[in-house]
Amino acid sequence: MSRITIDPITRLEGHGKIEIFLNEEGDVANAYFQIPELRGFEQFCVGRLAEEMPVITNRICGVCPEAHHMAASKALDALFAADPPPAAKKLRELLYCAFFVTDHTTHFYALGGPDFILGPDAPPGERNILGVIRKVGLDVGRQVIDCRARNHHVIKTVGGRSIHPVAGLPGGWSRPITATERDEIAAIAKQNIEFAQFTLRIFEEVVLKNQVYLELVTSETYTHRTYYMGMVDDRQRVNFYDGMIRVVGPDGAELVRYHPDDYAQQIAERVEPWSYLKYPYLKAVGWKGFVDGPESGVYAASPLSRLNVADGMATPLAQEQFERFFETLGSGKAGGRYRPVHYRLATHWARLVELLYASERMLELALDPEITSPDLRTRPGAVTGRGIGCVEAPRGTLTHHYEADERGILTRVNMIVGTTNNYAPMTMSIKKAAQQIITKGKIVEEGMLNRIEMAFRLYDPCLSCATHAVGKMPLSVKIRDASGAVVRTVSRN
Amino acid sequence: MRTIVVGLGNPILSDDSVGIKAAGLVRELVAGSERIEVVEAYAGGLRLMEAIAGYDRAVIVDAMTRGDCPPGTVLPLRPGEGAGTRNMLCSHDSDLETSISLGRELGLALPREIRIVGIEAEDVDNFSEDLTRLVEAALPAAVAEIMLLCTSPAWT
Repeated sequence: MSRITIDPITRLEGHGKIEIFLNEEGDVANAYFQIPELRGFEQFCVGRLAEEMPVITNRICGVCPEAHHMAASKALDALFAADPPPAAKKLRELLYCAFFVTDHTTHFYALGGPDFILGPDAPPGERNILGVIRKVGLDVGRQVIDCRARNHHVIKTVGGRSIHPVAGLPGGWSRPITATERDEIAAIAKQNIEFAQFTLRIFEEVVLKNQVYLELVTSETYTHRTYYMGMVDDRQRVNFYDGMIRVVGPDGAELVRYHPDDYAQQIAERVEPWSYLKYPYLKAVGWKGFVDGPESGVYAASPLSRLNVADGMATPLAQEQFERFFETLGSGKAGGRYRPVHYRLATHWARLVELLYASERMLELALDPEITSPDLRTRPGAVTGRGIGCVEAPRGTLTHHYEADERGILTRVNMIVGTTNNYAPMTMSIKKAAQQIITKGKIVEEGMLNRIEMAFRLYDPCLSCATHAVGKMPLSVKIRDASGAVVRTVSRN
Repeated sequence: MRTIVVGLGNPILSDDSVGIKAAGLVRELVAGSERIEVVEAYAGGLRLMEAIAGYDRAVIVDAMTRGDCPPGTVLPLRPGEGAGTRNMLCSHDSDLETSISLGRELGLALPREIRIVGIEAEDVDNFSEDLTRLVEAALPAAVAEIMLLCTSPAWT
């Protein structure tokens, strides 16, 4: 087969790169998602004072610094044996809810929504936030920008600095909020609740009432029956800031519920010779390759996963939406819990249920009488030698693991970021999407990039975090025949 | 006329931080000025658009990995020109041009003019607070380019 190259790109650094391998019959044998590797983060950290980590790690990524700041602060609590006072935990969670609201809002309107609001086959130049507001109205765009601005303001008020918070300390938080600030935050939280409900109504109108989209969401192309991971509170409800990690199987049965400190006993990383990426999987189940089903240790950690592992949501309006989500897309209950929803595109809906939860939880915290307490710090004790901090980042479970000597100087640093959890499922989703596009050597080029992109966009992979690849998602897809020769390259800068 | 200088990049990723470092030097030079403000930004797209709202002009300073010029090359660019620079786009929302168009349609007060100062990087794969030698040596030229733009009454 001769080599055909379309729109060749000379510079692959920073590109999401997808390689599709065909078998002798010309069908998809394998598909791999590759992203550039960044090196030396552990070496960069080792030898530094552990206290620097909340500020250092939030610079790994320009997109979710708040998540790293929280995980790092929690790891330091453990490293210095200093459990923060209740008000400090509440302020941290309050800031974190504001962050979730901006992040989930932005994803829906700028990335996930356009596929539905404009359609998966709309020209790429229109399939963006600008296209969305031209379709649904300028006012929606204003609401998105206002939502971001008011929640950035909350992050600055509570975190001491916009975008890159600095208030997290071992054993607590450095800055109390005043009653006036609390009132302002409560008002913002109420606006967020309204906005989240408004966004869910848009989802209802545009997606759920459209039979074509509903069929797309529930199609086999975008379905994987894997294990799911997420953090739950003491009543097994979704929590972003603290709790146990619960893993459920494809049938919804709990495989394990563990303390984040035990992550290394639960998660192993698979190394494949063709990729520098490490693919986390569940040790108890084992690695069976890039396949789903109860025998395969592949798991996903995402908004969909969080809903799938939980018994419910901790706030009333989000709980209503949670039930509606599973009643609409699920297959009933088993053992008193909803069975998991395996439709990956439903992640977009799950994200909006979480948007509503984050908004409601933000209001609860703002109205908590303790939130203005100046008692925000537990004095750090002796260095314990090891500290593990875990939160749910918007893109999945985020774990920071530090080890330090008796002076608090770092000797080891390990992180599993949200996106890393999803490397294996993303690879599987891309393969399935590719199988729909390529059969018997026949390649449907029309809309190909977007059909493949839709498969991984729903995970919203944070390449910045995972390896800090930079840029939006410049994408290159290479298709190779059974001999390994490139038969087609499709790319977009 | 108010001008904002944005140092863009990752402050701990070797040469990717050159925009932030150059902007930091400019901040010292323009201290006390009411017409010129300097900020850092770590992500492009919507956040960058939001950062420059409210100013008449914006100078964005960012690392480049063009590969067609030696490390340390300083290039003045316009938005959308050439291969672009590394951090204008955000993988989680949109590119700068889309963000700017969005902002304009929504009636935000965005700069009438935007210029970009790109500095060719050598190492953007290793975590470090330091620049590589040639890129470090390019800082004075980058600062001069930024200052020229900031102090020029009109951009052509």
